Amino acid sequence: MSAKVDEFTVVGKAVKRIEGDRKVTGAMRYVDDLSLPGMLSGRLVTSIYAHAEIVSIDASAALQVPGVIAVYTGKDVHPSGPEPDNRTGHMLARDKVIYYGQAVAVVLGVNEAAAAEGAALVEVEYRQLPAVVDPLEAMKPDAPVIRKKANAGVWADGADHGAVVAGDDIDISRLPDNITNAVRFTRGDIEAGFAEADAIVERTYTTHWVHQSYIETHGSLAAPDALGNLTIYTTTQGQFGARNGTAGVLGIPQNKIKLVGMEVGGGFGGKGIMLEPLAGWCALRHNAPVKIIMTRSEELSMGNPAPGSVIDIKIGAKADGTITAIQSRMVFDSGCYPGTPVGIAAMMAGGYYKTPNLSLLGYEVLTNKPGNGAYRAPGAPQATFAIEQAVDELAGKLGIDPVAFRLHNCSVEGDPQPTGAPWPRIGLKEILETIKEHPLWKNRHEHGKAVGVAIGGWPGGVEPCAANIRVNTDGSMLLTLGSTDITGTNTVMAMIAAEVFGMPLEKVKVQTGDTDTAPYAGFSGGSKVTYTVGPAVQRAAEDARQQVMAIAASELEASPDDLEIVDGVCRVKGAPDREISIAAIAQKSMTFGGKYEPVYGIGKSAVTDRAPGFSGQIAAVSVDEDTGQVKIEQYVTVQDVGRQLNPAMVEGQVIGGTAQAIGWGLWESMHYADDGQLITSTLMDYNVPKSEQIPPIETVILEIPAPAGPFGAKGIGEPPIIPGAAAIANAVAAATGKRVTAMPLTAERVSNALHNGQG
Amino acid sequence: MAHKVSMTVNGVTRESEVEPRTLLVHHIREGLGLTGTHIGCDTSQCGACTIIMNGKAVKSCTVLAVQADGADIMTIEGLAKDGQLHPIQEGFWEEHGLQCGFCTPGMIMSAYDLLQRNASPSEAEIRHAIDGNLCRCTGYQHIVKSIQWAANKMASAPAGDD
Ligand code: FES
Ligand code: FES
Repeated sequence: MSAKVDEFTVVGKAVKRIEGDRKVTGAMRYVDDLSLPGMLSGRLVTSIYAHAEIVSIDASAALQVPGVIAVYTGKDVHPSGPEPDNRTGHMLARDKVIYYGQAVAVVLGVNEAAAAEGAALVEVEYRQLPAVVDPLEAMKPDAPVIRKKANAGVWADGADHGAVVAGDDIDISRLPDNITNAVRFTRGDIEAGFAEADAIVERTYTTHWVHQSYIETHGSLAAPDALGNLTIYTTTQGQFGARNGTAGVLGIPQNKIKLVGMEVGGGFGGKGIMLEPLAGWCALRHNAPVKIIMTRSEELSMGNPAPGSVIDIKIGAKADGTITAIQSRMVFDSGCYPGTPVGIAAMMAGGYYKTPNLSLLGYEVLTNKPGNGAYRAPGAPQATFAIEQAVDELAGKLGIDPVAFRLHNCSVEGDPQPTGAPWPRIGLKEILETIKEHPLWKNRHEHGKAVGVAIGGWPGGVEPCAANIRVNTDGSMLLTLGSTDITGTNTVMAMIAAEVFGMPLEKVKVQTGDTDTAPYAGFSGGSKVTYTVGPAVQRAAEDARQQVMAIAASELEASPDDLEIVDGVCRVKGAPDREISIAAIAQKSMTFGGKYEPVYGIGKSAVTDRAPGFSGQIAAVSVDEDTGQVKIEQYVTVQDVGRQLNPAMVEGQVIGGTAQAIGWGLWESMHYADDGQLITSTLMDYNVPKSEQIPPIETVILEIPAPAGPFGAKGIGEPPIIPGAAAIANAVAAATGKRVTAMPLTAERVSNALHNGQG
Repeated sequence: MAHKVSMTVNGVTRESEVEPRTLLVHHIREGLGLTGTHIGCDTSQCGACTIIMNGKAVKSCTVLAVQADGADIMTIEGLAKDGQLHPIQEGFWEEHGLQCGFCTPGMIMSAYDLLQRNASPSEAEIRHAIDGNLCRCTGYQHIVKSIQWAANKMASAPAGDD
């Protein structure tokens, strides 16, 4: 489909979200809004140490509290065998706690207040162990060991989002226990590359853990039936994954669990599977519905924040601005379970720019922190903070305009990625050209602003999926999907179905079915819903349309080729009196004694060609020379989205992602004390940006169509969070002449860079 | 030790028994079944629980239910009249002032409070008024536009002020 937007009736229009009325009236139901007869509430008891043996747990006082029904510990939920080595399976700590805030017991009460009162009275005796919180320390052979290699864990979801990484194999079994993954990508001769260079930049960049900070915390409600089946209502972006994970942990067949993905109050990659197994276990044990909702403090301490990293970069270029070598060693802090996006980080750090010589080495290291989780473009913001500052500094050393330098070196279609696979068509170059001409950049010397630029990209996600469509006897349509509606994806799917079928948008209802009734779709994340579910919906709508046409052709005694659908009516082209409504067709296909099969459209997709998405950002800042406070004066975000299916929603996504980038760049970080205690354990300490902190953001949208995307669309969710911190750091360098190599660029760090030369 | 409380909620008198420790937000959600008021934190930072109490925006997790005895309360469920969305609700829908929607009821309540006091706020005044309401999805820009949209609509409509 390569038609122009104005040839479409729905696609390309800024229509309102289909579920918006429920959200503005308070009618939308999230997990915590549900209540079932006989329901019990669960409250967690969490660890006050980051690393300690559990000596004993005394629940006697808790059990005295009126309304407390039971207290369960790790010994109950994991009665035998080794302690689980992955977050999904590790419902409660049993022998030792491995991070601050880890759940060690669950108290069930007739209501939340009773359970909470009970939880406060559970006495846990610990024997404290040395904790390791710095990943560089944790890599050393004599560091405290989180878990012996023999039971090194399976992957957590930090790496789930874009499994595109291969690279050379590194045998990690010989490396210290805490190193649970290593990746390497090489090309050419790195030393020869540096020998050719006229200028080299070599620095270490540090990024800290951040929390996704969706406003709705995690929660699950599990309801058993008399036969031991479970229905689980839960906060997840991926209901099939959550169901399969829960079935695996509980050791019951997948068919015994119906998982209902409720409306998600924000996820950003962080909501996969969390409390489902524990709520399910409690529900089966008690034969009663059990609801567990995390408090914000629990969310911050155990709700899988995004990993920090330490990234060394060395990059060299010739006097003419041609990059000759890129070398990096990246260490990703995995927390207490394996599974970081270090591979994606390496792909990005070594992939944005052409270089004949490349050497990338990435490690993932266990520490006494919660298991890391996915957060919007996992791994890419960290890598981009490093490479985009290094490139900027290198251009400066060579006296070359940093945008011109990037344009000279940027990867285009056919250039190799670190894996060796060629980049498909990407919009990186066009983004840089747009930035070059943007007045904020172009006229920066005239208006005297300190301006920084950075680019960043995301490989794009793919996963097979299906969709189906029924036409009702009043001529309306029901589209059923397996993908959770995040960021308005169901609205976009309704638009695609309406467009392809020829149905008014208001007649299309979209439901995300539960895991018993929905066609398969993967996790709503990795910027893959529109890109992969969209084609399935296109096909389902085409299929339903063809079936309708066939019935109409028979009824009107015409060839299907001579028919058209206009305003819910099927008619013979050029003969307006020969027509039959969609409603009448549906009635004929769903009636006693009818002769036509019911209209039931099916669409499936297994897109394998990725459509990487790129963003470029321009930040103008001022820096208070005394305090180091950075103020954003103006901000522009440029993104290639392939094709805007709904411009208002695209703009909303791009601005929202950019705001998260600014938060990460300037204020947000999880702060762990040396003993592993989380200092930023409430929203008083963890700085989610507020309305007065986020500046107005100008968006510039480019449309370079993706061949496999619906109407050319690409995923848009991840890219806007990627280059923001680097753009701000580059602007700070433009303002002050100093490089701040750790993010966020807090006033303290910037002030240190200004006054002590080191950020 | 239950206490009897009576409050007018969305125009209806509701009598109930609450425990002294019960927060108003829990009473609204669980006692009265009005789940449009959300909970996003445990330290009164997020604003998801914002309601209108005696004419002013209040974070309902900062008030005990017993303190609200005799109060006049409006929650998000009370804003639309006769099936007609309030202009602020229309604005949030029209201008994409919502994504996940979790912050939306609280945001709308804060916007209601603002527009009562200031019929044509500047962008800075809007941003200030919602500074106690966190939104992680939108970056606030479309929320600001939504409130501007509502202010314009309310200014042009004959005052059917509620
Ligand atoms: S629940 Fe967060 S402020 Fe009330
Ligand atoms: S719309 Fe999701 S938090 Fe505001």
